[in-house]
Amino acid sequence: MAFKNHIEETHGEQHLRQKHLMLDPKPRGEMNAMVMEAMHTTTWKFWVVVALLSAVVLFGLFWSWGILIAEGMGVAGVNRPSYWGIFLVNTVFWIGISHAGTFISAILRVFKAEFRRPFTRAAELMTTFGLIQAGFSIFMHMGRVWRMYWLMPYPNQRLLWPNFHSPLTWDLLAITTYLLSSTMYLYLPLIPDLAMARDRTKGGWQKIFYRVLALGFRGTEGEWKHLRSAMNIFAWAIIPIMFSVHTIVSWDFAVATRPGWNSTIFGPYFIIGALHSGMGAVIMVLAVVRGTMKNMKYFIRPEHFEAIGKLMLIISMGWAYFFFNDFIVQWYGGDKWTQTLLHYHESGPLGYLWFFMLFVNIVIPWSVLWNKRWRSTPWIVFIVGLLINVGMWIERYIIIPISLTINRSPFTWKLYQPGIEIPLGIGTVALFILLYLAASKLIPLIPVWEVQEGQMAHSLKKYGRESVVTVSELE
Amino acid sequence: MKPIDLNIIGAKGAIAEEAEGKWGMAIDEDLCTGCQACVAACAMENNISFVGEEDAAYGRTMHWIRIERFWEGEYPDVRTTSFQPMLCQQCGHAPCEPVCPVFATVHSQADELNLQVYNRCVGTRYCGNNCPYQVRAFNWRDYERPEPLNNQLNPDVTVRQRGVMEKCTFCIQRIHQAEDTAKSEGRELQDGEFDPACAQACPADAIVFGRVDDPDSKVSQLSRQKRGVKHLEDLATLPRITYLKES
Amino acid sequence: MAENISLLALFSDLEPAADAIDKLRDLGVAEEQMNVISGVPLNEAMLGRKEQESNVPKLAFAGAITGFLVGSFLAFVTPYWYPVPIQVGRQAIIPGPPTIIVLFEMTMLFLLLATFLGVFLDSFFPYYRPLKYVPEISDGKIAIFFSCPENQKDTMINSMTILGAEKVEVAEAKQL
Repeated sequence: MAFKNHIEETHGEQHLRQKHLMLDPKPRGEMNAMVMEAMHTTTWKFWVVVALLSAVVLFGLFWSWGILIAEGMGVAGVNRPSYWGIFLVNTVFWIGISHAGTFISAILRVFKAEFRRPFTRAAELMTTFGLIQAGFSIFMHMGRVWRMYWLMPYPNQRLLWPNFHSPLTWDLLAITTYLLSSTMYLYLPLIPDLAMARDRTKGGWQKIFYRVLALGFRGTEGEWKHLRSAMNIFAWAIIPIMFSVHTIVSWDFAVATRPGWNSTIFGPYFIIGALHSGMGAVIMVLAVVRGTMKNMKYFIRPEHFEAIGKLMLIISMGWAYFFFNDFIVQWYGGDKWTQTLLHYHESGPLGYLWFFMLFVNIVIPWSVLWNKRWRSTPWIVFIVGLLINVGMWIERYIIIPISLTINRSPFTWKLYQPGIEIPLGIGTVALFILLYLAASKLIPLIPVWEVQEGQMAHSLKKYGRESVVTVSELE
Repeated sequence: MKPIDLNIIGAKGAIAEEAEGKWGMAIDEDLCTGCQACVAACAMENNISFVGEEDAAYGRTMHWIRIERFWEGEYPDVRTTSFQPMLCQQCGHAPCEPVCPVFATVHSQADELNLQVYNRCVGTRYCGNNCPYQVRAFNWRDYERPEPLNNQLNPDVTVRQRGVMEKCTFCIQRIHQAEDTAKSEGRELQDGEFDPACAQACPADAIVFGRVDDPDSKVSQLSRQKRGVKHLEDLATLPRITYLKES
Repeated sequence: MAENISLLALFSDLEPAADAIDKLRDLGVAEEQMNVISGVPLNEAMLGRKEQESNVPKLAFAGAITGFLVGSFLAFVTPYWYPVPIQVGRQAIIPGPPTIIVLFEMTMLFLLLATFLGVFLDSFFPYYRPLKYVPEISDGKIAIFFSCPENQKDTMINSMTILGAEKVEVAEAKQL
């Protein structure tokens, strides 16, 4: 649809249009062509990265996992008392990453935060792919992974059912629900873009691929109506699911009779931590997508980094608040075991990790992201996002193996040393990136129709001398 | 002011009743010499794997009973405390049980014991984390038994696969054998008729096993002594083992 | 009576498309004989069309009820299928708070599964046989498909072209 541009644009208006994607519309056909071109432009560097990552996945994930299954948990670093190690650190970490997708595509959709439009899909892909890594990590962790189907509630001849008292069973139900619903929520808004890709693919396997996945979507009034109505339900319903998932993950720890874990604030503390690492990961992905893919500088602009950077700053403050809340109550409590544990966190052999965590999770974001220009610069926020992710990984490392070192039975105290968890963990990272690379070549990474819908709704209005951005409600 | 009668609000009565249990132990730390005979006997009786030096040093011993030894002060002014045999307390209110996603560790209402169902275990190790006494043992690998120890396996006890959790059973095979014998002879099981492997092997008679619900049994009489303490009683896990120690 | 034929008129803008729909109505094309296909979701009100019905919310509600029942089955029935209901940690056989979690997760899962299924059922997905369509639609054009008696064909084409249609032609079902 054409947009009536003002004949005489003031300098301020030009500046606003340059800044905001929503005010800088292009014809839909042009945007489609740009997205298709981004999808199809593949350099040799891409294939080098794919080859390297594939090698890492083959060795780190499949080969190492084979050894782990064949030899037993002994090749990992877990021991008594640290029965849980990096596998669960990674599980919590990946579930945390997955929260960013839902946060952006559901919460920002519900609250009509318009800057979300170009990257809802890029974020939602992280949810699905992150949850796959979380699933892998939790299965690696099991002593007899070949019996993993015993966790599922399925009818069987001997009428054995899982134990619904166990937080791990809640976890299974919650993560399954979250994985399925986030995948469906990824797919629904993708259908019109798949139809777009189908219309501009001439032949070959791609044509079949898009034709099958687009399901025969044309864009009739009814199809749009059903799609939007479903997306609205999804956006509202997936938010409580997201909250429940990480709360239940936190209950794995919080319901246990262990010093340091038995905390009532773990639910919200884990959720804010998940968002902390998730937003860091989103901003990293966006910086890479903008930097490496063709035509993405039009869709992903400094305004988006600026907006996410602001959210990161707020979330970092929230994380600090919950961390301090958890800490001071435990510190004040005077329980001997908890005191010992807190002391061990700070001045044990890995005490430097505790201080490093606080540095990268609080000091770095607070000192960088307050500045509008810095938080609009992709490479700066990329580094901040990376550091936050390292910090949040360390936070889970402190909560799981380091806290497990101290228990109420001092005779067993023993520090955990990772073993085969390291290649397996690197393998999940490589698989995540690999899946993302594959997706960037197979599906339109930008929800073009949502961008166009947003551009239709935005306009500039003059109040006296000032031009103001306005958004109309189209739904 | 009139004191509150705990029995009226049911609290005291409920705790006392729950705390009773069926089978129990009294371990006299003043008698224990730390000779580790119980550890060896338990391993022989229950087909426990030998993990080797390296894994043992890394905290992967699989003993179902261990002798804990502590000391106070810095060398050379060291004061040792008494030896403390630590094994599954067969809690009446066990933290390990509800957290298993597949019901591999459950409470036996008949025997008042914590059961571990090896062939149901999938190895999430949550029970091991949640045990405040840290007495659960995980099969980290398939450990080999060097010749001729492979011929020594107890046929009454299963051999466990890698990846499953295990723990002290109070030698449930012996309990059931003794009960069956008594039943076939048409009589009641008598106190002290049988012992689990650790109690049987203890040269100092520091471990006494029996019915704690029978006030006249030896274990009940010992447990009532002023020396008796339960471990981590504040967690309300209702442990079935009383440690006797002159404080 | 003359054979009905199917025509499509392609518009770039919203206003002419809305005008065209009004014109078609004046020319005697019934509401249900018109179908608007667009590359972005358009509000029915924008084109002066009556609102579409969607069964998706109803199906979602039915899904939620199903999920609640599935959750109830898992939480209340399966524990009693063991020969001896299993006691763990002195908790009740059916524990209160964990049951709420099971009910919540199952309700939400089936709610969303039904919503997803609802889109498929309501939109007749997947459908791979030929359909009336032009690829320009996903470039943001608005296509009005309508049927009229064969003898009115020229009138229709003329009036659509006057109103600014980029292209008016006989609609053919094509493999998408």
